[in-house]
Amino acid sequence: MLDSHQSQLSENKIRSIKRYNSNDLVTAILFLSPVILFVSILIVFPVIGTGITSLYRDVSYLPKSFLGLDNYKALIFSPDFRASLVFTLIFTLFAVACETVLGLLFALLLNEEFRGRNVLRVVILIPWAIPTIVSAKVWKLIFEYSYGILNVIICGLGLSDEKINWLGTGVTSFWALLLAEVWKTTPFMILILLAGLQAIPRDLTMQARMDGAKPIRRLFTITLPLLRPVLLIALIFRTVDTLRIFDLVFVLTGGGPGGSTKTLSLLGYEFFGNDRFGMGSAISMITFLIALAITLLYLKVGGFAKQLGVKQ
Amino acid sequence: MKSQSRKFLRPVMRESLISWCLFPGTIILLLFTLLPFAWMLCISFFTRPDFFNGADSHFTFSNYWDVLSSDSLHFLDFVKNSLIISGLSALLSSLIAALAAYAVSRLHFRGRIVIPLAILAMSMFPQISIVGYLYQSFSSLGWINTYAALVLPYIALTVPLALWITLSYFMQIPLDLDKAALVDGAGRLKTLFKIILPIAAPGIFSGFLLVFIQCFNEFLFAILLTIDYHAQTLPVGIALFEGTHGEIPWGNLMAASTMASIPLILLALLFQRFIVSGLAGGAVKG
Amino acid sequence: MNDAYSIELQGISKSYTRSGTTVEVLKKIDLTVMAGEFFVLLGPSGCGKSTLLNLCAGLDVPSEGKILLGEKRIVDIEAGICLQPYERDAAMVFQSYALYPHMTVAENLAFPLRNRKPKLTKHEIETAVKQTAEMLQIHTLLDRKPAELSGGQRQRVAIGRALVRKPKIFLLDEPLSNLDAQLRHEMRAQLKTLQEKLGITTIYVTHDQTEAMTLANRLAVLNQGQVQQLGTPSEVYKNPVNPFVAQFIGSPPMNLLKCNYSDSKKSLLLPDANQEIILQDTDLDQISKLLIPEADSFLLGVRPEDLIIVDASNARLKVELSVIENLGSEWLGYTYIGSKTLIVRSSRELKKGNICLSFASENMHLFPSIT
Repeated sequence: MLDSHQSQLSENKIRSIKRYNSNDLVTAILFLSPVILFVSILIVFPVIGTGITSLYRDVSYLPKSFLGLDNYKALIFSPDFRASLVFTLIFTLFAVACETVLGLLFALLLNEEFRGRNVLRVVILIPWAIPTIVSAKVWKLIFEYSYGILNVIICGLGLSDEKINWLGTGVTSFWALLLAEVWKTTPFMILILLAGLQAIPRDLTMQARMDGAKPIRRLFTITLPLLRPVLLIALIFRTVDTLRIFDLVFVLTGGGPGGSTKTLSLLGYEFFGNDRFGMGSAISMITFLIALAITLLYLKVGGFAKQLGVKQ
Repeated sequence: MKSQSRKFLRPVMRESLISWCLFPGTIILLLFTLLPFAWMLCISFFTRPDFFNGADSHFTFSNYWDVLSSDSLHFLDFVKNSLIISGLSALLSSLIAALAAYAVSRLHFRGRIVIPLAILAMSMFPQISIVGYLYQSFSSLGWINTYAALVLPYIALTVPLALWITLSYFMQIPLDLDKAALVDGAGRLKTLFKIILPIAAPGIFSGFLLVFIQCFNEFLFAILLTIDYHAQTLPVGIALFEGTHGEIPWGNLMAASTMASIPLILLALLFQRFIVSGLAGGAVKG
Repeated sequence: MNDAYSIELQGISKSYTRSGTTVEVLKKIDLTVMAGEFFVLLGPSGCGKSTLLNLCAGLDVPSEGKILLGEKRIVDIEAGICLQPYERDAAMVFQSYALYPHMTVAENLAFPLRNRKPKLTKHEIETAVKQTAEMLQIHTLLDRKPAELSGGQRQRVAIGRALVRKPKIFLLDEPLSNLDAQLRHEMRAQLKTLQEKLGITTIYVTHDQTEAMTLANRLAVLNQGQVQQLGTPSEVYKNPVNPFVAQFIGSPPMNLLKCNYSDSKKSLLLPDANQEIILQDTDLDQISKLLIPEADSFLLGVRPEDLIIVDASNARLKVELSVIENLGSEWLGYTYIGSKTLIVRSSRELKKGNICLSFASENMHLFPSIT
């Protein structure tokens, strides 16, 4: 009874093989097109557009004109840009290094079994979940000169006779930014490294322990080598993310004092804000190229490209 | 199996180095993560931030009331904008990521390995190299200060993450299920919506959560592509929070900050499992 | 009820191209599965048997060839015909069962019916689900999810989901291999009974020769994309056409020994054992029946159970047993001749040490030696 419907339907129906084979391709194109459309229209085109704009003099009060690489040349000779570039790179280096070391230590801690571990694993999500802008405001309050809690604690403990003007000098601003950044992003590092640690079969570390390896030795000979792929991914994500840091600096120091903490993104934003799109775009392109170069460097050093190839 | 082996391992003595580090490590981690958060909460309940200097400051709820009732602050407008923009972006981003993840994990075509990698690489672009161009384009389209000006870029920015998370879930669903559904007479779309999506629901949900939080926290696009409370989101509102008397009204600001953070913290704590598996899944398996 | 349909595969080939190299999975397969037959495709992993099943199901397209279902062409590559799975009225049971984990048993059973066009009424679906569930004795489990079922129950649900639509062909891909040994025996018998009762043309893929022997009306032994032998289980067991089939069917496998034929002495020389088997007239008849080509180097095959223990005067082969296994109902003795293992199977107790063996002419198999 069920059968007769079906056979009548298909008796005369002939499907071409071409259609059968291309079915997958057509479906794939249909299913992938929204993602590809969004990504190309809103990411790829704009990046190309930015690249093109960076070759023009594009300011609101003058007619647009082609400059070639003049914007880039101007940037290279601009002390503001050079200071910003150096600051961004050094800050990224320090921030990623601190996050990685702290993240690894805390991940190792949370990988041990002890009471309260699960609570701790939840608690570390708090800095991650708080909007960066909010955390920047909170840290600004903490670093406040006259009534910030940090100065109160330091003076109260007698670590310093005078209050420190944290956000008032270039050097202290650097450390202030670093602390706020590390606080906000270390949880991400912990979570990823912890997941990586948990993917390492426990038998291996147990075996190493049976073979007489002490904890530190186990860390360097077993755990870290096996953690390398995850560590590499985390490093890439964090480095690229820190290179483009904007919101934290925008609120905490505003790039000051005296432009000493102005990151590349902040500098670019200022140019865009002043309707100087050519220069802003040139800065953006340089940021993009640095991020790209660092990613490629990581991949090459980590031998990650090879690994990916094997996996697929 | 797993719990059995754990039980078995438990009686093994911990080495002294590790047990020495456990307690101080826990305390440091706890203080490090919680202190700034606690400080925010604390100040939000005081009339002045300098109460320990002996200033006249006392416990109060008025900061919250001020923020919520003030018309000029538009706090509730920011909340509404943030919820709509982040919710819409996360929904659409998850949906189109699911379609793409189905194609990549289920269908045979050239480039099925390259496409997700290429899309993931898109999330590496610094936002600053996109936002200037978008600002110019959206200006000429008259989209500045609209929801669309944020929702559309947010989808593009978050879809790589959503795709990667969804994909790592889809990969775990056996292909036999698709074959069975095909033999059972279901088409591709039906297989996706009736079979794969329900099974991968936790993965889709964790993708949705992460994308939602990412959009909720985004700042650079939000500040450049919006002008006022009609489209500005919470982070912009808080960043531009100014007192009327020149001095920063820390109590109000911390109250607003607390209210902006609590929903996200609750989401993170409630759905901790989904968030951790989403964050980790992308990195560990990818 | 529908009548049974035959399935005819004509010149089916399948090759994949992966990163530049072409792999031939199936090479010009010709097979006819008779209407209502229980047909088994038997072979080691990677022999192409699952691919062949997928081609019948419509989950894959052959590179060339035709498939006929009854009178109807469901695949004809030259004519550009390849019906979709749901247009073939085929049902399939997967090794992993592929039950939809988020649906109850009833919903799993109803799923293929819900996809029918024109649509079936709710009542029709419910009746069909109920009937099938009762037939497979899973009617008490209808509200459960697959995760709440035992292995055997899942198996039944998978079979039920396949049969509920009353398919023309019933395809099974190693359906029993995820069950433990005892359940496997039970399900094997039930599957056989069910198939006989319903009379649906069935193709069953397995690597397990015991399953193949017990279930099949006829079976095809597949290796490296080619049909090695086609026949009833006893035909294939008694007269394997080549060393591969000889060793693949039967447990423990057939003993194969290198030997050289000497025409002048009318004897077989076993170089590894340094022994000579004098051939009797009945042996020579057997040899001529086997149509041995010119070459004088062969493989002599004798099944372990066909080796009889005799006294020294009747011995055709003298060996020293070095390992003995007691299986309860029978004994296995192992000896090593060159690099080959020779197994003796006996219902009487075997002991380590020297032993004299003989075998009947009709149990002697000779195959051209593979060089």
